[in-house]
Amino acid sequence: MSGTVSTPSTVARFAHGLLRNELPLLSDERRQDAVDFIGRRVSVLPSFTRFGVLVIGRVLDVAGMVIGHSNIRRIVTTLPIPLLAEYPRLVRSLGFAYVWETWPDTTVEGGKPS
Amino acid sequence: MNMHHDCDVLIVGSGAGGATTAAILADAGHDVLIVEEGPWIEQGSVSPFSLDQMDKQYRSGGVTVALGVPSIAYTEGRCAGGGTEVNSGLYWRPPEQTLDRWRSRYSIKDFATEDILSICEEVEASLSVQTVPGEPTEASRILQRGADRLGWKNGEIPRWMSYPEGAGATQGKRQSMTRTYLPRAFEAGARILCDHRLDKIVRNGRRAVSAELTHEDQPVTIAFRDVIVCGGAIQTPAILQRAGFRHRVGRTLAVHPTVKLAAKFADAVNTPEDVSVYQVKQFAPNMSFGGSASHPGLVALALTDNWRDFGKAVTKWPELAIYYAAITSEGRGIVQAIPGMRDPIVTYRLTKRDRDLLGQGLARLATVMLEADAEEVYPAFKGAPIVRNRADVGAMTSQFAASKASVMTVHLCSTAPMGDDEKRCATDSHGLVHGADNVFVNDAALLPEAPGVNPQASVMAVAIRNARRYVDQRAG
Repeated sequence: MSGTVSTPSTVARFAHGLLRNELPLLSDERRQDAVDFIGRRVSVLPSFTRFGVLVIGRVLDVAGMVIGHSNIRRIVTTLPIPLLAEYPRLVRSLGFAYVWETWPDTTVEGGKPS
Repeated sequence: MNMHHDCDVLIVGSGAGGATTAAILADAGHDVLIVEEGPWIEQGSVSPFSLDQMDKQYRSGGVTVALGVPSIAYTEGRCAGGGTEVNSGLYWRPPEQTLDRWRSRYSIKDFATEDILSICEEVEASLSVQTVPGEPTEASRILQRGADRLGWKNGEIPRWMSYPEGAGATQGKRQSMTRTYLPRAFEAGARILCDHRLDKIVRNGRRAVSAELTHEDQPVTIAFRDVIVCGGAIQTPAILQRAGFRHRVGRTLAVHPTVKLAAKFADAVNTPEDVSVYQVKQFAPNMSFGGSASHPGLVALALTDNWRDFGKAVTKWPELAIYYAAITSEGRGIVQAIPGMRDPIVTYRLTKRDRDLLGQGLARLATVMLEADAEEVYPAFKGAPIVRNRADVGAMTSQFAASKASVMTVHLCSTAPMGDDEKRCATDSHGLVHGADNVFVNDAALLPEAPGVNPQASVMAVAIRNARRYVDQRAG
């Protein structure tokens, strides 16, 4: 798959924040690779799903500008809000699958083994 | 520049339905052209069950979903050979009771059970269907051990694989369509165009006359005498709907929903490039248990529903394997093409019985794992507890709700069911679309219901039956 597809900025911002929060020891370089992978997958999602993801991403991004991106991320990852809760689930699933598929010896916090 | 091709018979899709249809029609002298949306990928050039394979051989990188509560993730092969290139290769004949029920309930003509099973025998020879001659993987032994200790029925499921003499499970060569029926079709003169996406079938009244496709952003037109749509249970109904065929098309999607868990053992059990060949059938056909792909990335994925509690297990991924509980579902789904959108919308509604069965299935599967000496079991639903003993299974069951679970399926059927009962069926008893003179379906969409077992043998047997009928009726 092409590595030149750019991740939509709203999705990239959310994915960076989520991975930084949940895998705090993941290096910036690896996190960027994972975010790029998430972007590539989002770009080939079926039309309707992709549309939904981009709309939710945009709404959360705008809300994040008002009340803070970390606050919005905490809300959607902890509250079982229909549809909205699927968004962090998708981002987390893709990101984590990529990290451990690519670097299987990654520690639970995202670090390299000592 | 607009490329143009001509053929007698255009076959859309090259999976279990399309490849078998192409081989039989080409053998009979028909001028066959296959169009395949995905690429031709040589076996062995990608690691089985990896993210790389999902990128190259699955639709949408494997991220496709039927919307609902819960939504159900599904996968479709999108490559030459279709799903046969990427699935587990497990082979099940359709149960006789299932064939009998389909024949009577959907008024399917010329559908004698013994005839279908006779075709299954041919398929088994063509695909080298067999059990593992050597040692099964540890993931297989776990299912066998757990079920044996519980006194539950289990067994090894044969696969379409060829093995060197005495070889173990991981040394098999998949006898998928790119190694079997497609080469046979090419030898008989069939052609294939890969990386060609069908956009539209053009009609003149009841007759379809040409197809409009896209290849590398360029338009391609194909004129044909007849068209046989074999795009799988999601794409086939969407193609028919875009062509204006809507009667009973895409209204009755049937799947086998599954829930999963990861189980941790004291020693290494994970074989990333293979899946368990054992299944537990004690509660079949309502539910059955088997093994899933367990690449490290998929192990991480299986733990994400409660990462806070489960996450630490990911570093022990060689000691973990993923298993599933699959159910027969009373629910149904819808596939709907939307004008202006490239992909159809897919929805699925589980019934209360389905939801209850998923919970029971997960509990019984966890019990099998504990009996097989699992140290910890990680069920895939939001907020699930770690299961370490039988008491924990009870706690898990009380917390389970299907709406919180990561439900998925790989068996999709029944979106253009066949039969002469026009109130229930989209095609006649041999796949001719109601309301059309020369548009046929010949893939999983035809199966009137999900068969309760891996559907590929059913798909191939029905496709071969219908292809032979076509040959009998239309001279090459």
